[in-house]
Amino acid sequence: MIDPLYLEGVIKILFVFVLISAALIISTRSLASVLNTYTVQSFLLAAVSFLLYLIDGKSELLLLAGLTLASKVLLIPHFINRIEEKIKIRRDLDFTYLEPTTSLLLSIGLILLSYTFLSRVFGDLALSRLFFFGAVIGLSLTLMGMLVMFSRKKVITKALGYLSMENGVLMLGIFVTELPFILEVLIVIDLIILVLLTSILAVGLDSSIEEYRAKIRKLQIWNGGEAL
Amino acid sequence: MIRFYLLAMGAFLALDLLPKSHRLMNALASGNALLHLALTCTALLTLDLPVRYGPSLYLDHLNLYVELITVLGFCAAAPYAKGYTESLMEEGELDPKNLKLFYLAFNLLLVTATAALFSDNLALFWIFAELTTVCAAVLVVILSARENIDAGLKYVFIVSGAMLFAFLGLIFLFTLSARALGEGTLSWTELMENASSFSPALLLASFAFVFIGFGAKAGIAPFHTWLPDAYARAPSVSAILSGLMQNLGIYGILRTYALLRVSDSAPQASFILIAAGLFSIALAAFSMLQQRNLKRLIAFSSVEHMGLLLIGIGIGTPIALFWALFYMLVHVLVKEALLFAAGILHRQYGSNMREDMRDVFKLQPRAAWTLILGSIAIVGMPPFPLFPAKFFILLESAEVSPYLTLAVLLLLILAAAAFSNFLLKAFSRVTEEGEGEHGKEPGYRKKSFQDPYVVRAGMRIPTVFMLALALLLGLWFPEPLKVLLEAIVLELGYV
Repeated sequence: MIDPLYLEGVIKILFVFVLISAALIISTRSLASVLNTYTVQSFLLAAVSFLLYLIDGKSELLLLAGLTLASKVLLIPHFINRIEEKIKIRRDLDFTYLEPTTSLLLSIGLILLSYTFLSRVFGDLALSRLFFFGAVIGLSLTLMGMLVMFSRKKVITKALGYLSMENGVLMLGIFVTELPFILEVLIVIDLIILVLLTSILAVGLDSSIEEYRAKIRKLQIWNGGEAL
Repeated sequence: MIRFYLLAMGAFLALDLLPKSHRLMNALASGNALLHLALTCTALLTLDLPVRYGPSLYLDHLNLYVELITVLGFCAAAPYAKGYTESLMEEGELDPKNLKLFYLAFNLLLVTATAALFSDNLALFWIFAELTTVCAAVLVVILSARENIDAGLKYVFIVSGAMLFAFLGLIFLFTLSARALGEGTLSWTELMENASSFSPALLLASFAFVFIGFGAKAGIAPFHTWLPDAYARAPSVSAILSGLMQNLGIYGILRTYALLRVSDSAPQASFILIAAGLFSIALAAFSMLQQRNLKRLIAFSSVEHMGLLLIGIGIGTPIALFWALFYMLVHVLVKEALLFAAGILHRQYGSNMREDMRDVFKLQPRAAWTLILGSIAIVGMPPFPLFPAKFFILLESAEVSPYLTLAVLLLLILAAAAFSNFLLKAFSRVTEEGEGEHGKEPGYRKKSFQDPYVVRAGMRIPTVFMLALALLLGLWFPEPLKVLLEAIVLELGYV
């Protein structure tokens, strides 16, 4: 049996890597490395839940680790990778509202915000330090994923932002409460949503939303080109 | 039990894959809607509510009522969709190959919404609500036009992103119940029974998160940004978006707010509701004022109405809730009539823009009158049922603060002004004798101004039916409806 304290230490180190991966998704310009970062992030999540299983011995955690590994480390990245090859965009250079530096500063603010928020909310809830930090990291990851969806232009990066948000929600779920089994079902549902989204992308969408708005207006495919 | 329902419906949908002819596919969709209508009515009339079947299926007055509204919307939308999609295919905007997908998503939307409404478990409700988002997005992107993909993606991203926050709220609720009961639960009924023993701060936090998610689904500002795009692009199904998706969001908020009513944090929660409601109304009213796109005008009007509904719920008195519930029903009736009429005008002019509409009374007199009457109804003029609903909600809002009443009233007047402004400008354009067939005005793009678009009966009848039903409800308030609404008010713990 491995010493639980040692495992906790490892988990804390993994937390730091999770945050770094979230920051990379916010700021990286190459689509391939955003995807790789997401894969690594999901892998970290699987590792965290596996380590927690070693500490707690709850079989749900092991299931979750396996499911995360299968779906988010292997299946989804593989699928997105194929679509990226199909649409032939390599980089997501443009940012809509926020430049990466601003978003990174903002995400530091978000981490602090989720820390203060959770320490107020969970003040009367006896959570151990590790679990409290896990919850904070989870919430920050969710908010940073939202930032990605908000600031990136390409739809694929937005989708990856959504997925990373979902990683954050899962993380919070692991640390705040004993996982209800429904969560596993939810992951499958999210998979469906993703598959749907990306298949739509593969069919028609090969440029960012704003760009083809402009294209449409020129082409007038749809009569009565829209006023915004 | 929900499993059985889904299995039965799955078989039904598999049946849906067989037919080749449009008529048959449409008949199946209509049949599906009518079946649900019949089941809902039977349940309302015969069952001794609330009833529970198995661990997850739960029927009470509220979810049956919301289901009734939803199904009514579908019953009207199904025949309408036939005429609309046919003319879309004639113009080459809809690929006939996609027709099957359209009807599949159409039916699936009704099934998932029903499953969402009747599941007692919050997590199940969440999943099915997410699935309705997917189905609705399919309906939006079904046209080959890329702007639709744009609108659909925006819709999915905003609503699903916000729904993840709702999920955070669910995690909090689960933790709360685990602490109070020893074992975590997400069942509405169990949560309702034990809500008073939950910690108010955490309950408020979970409410706030859930509110973000379902608020986005209902189109509450500032999460409403998907709504105008989706309404403007969706082929005829925008009527369902208003009838179903938005009410589903409101339903979630209503249930979660009912949890908080018994705790100490009720005042803060009702403040959140009222503030979000007021903000939605204000934002919508100002966006409507200079709106030149008819469907966007109607979309923003939906945001405005959701805001008013939230205020009605947030006031927290039984009377306000009673009228807010009534409001949910009549809003859908009138809004669908408006959207159907707008769809007919879109077929006529190939555009939703104000400046493209000319000779409306000559070309589409019925749609024009539906729009006029519908606008009168939607801004809350007397013979129509939105008038008493708005009137009583406003009256009750004075209990919170007279300034709130005043502000809402002014904004409602603004919205009414926006409607009349639009209608006056759009409908007063008449081609003069001798002006010639080729217009010289800017924005004159379509060639077929002279020949009226033949409105199929399947499109005309639902439009008139919804408006007539609304008018009827305005003139006569049926006793069973009153009993039903009062039962809901009691069930939600408003005394």
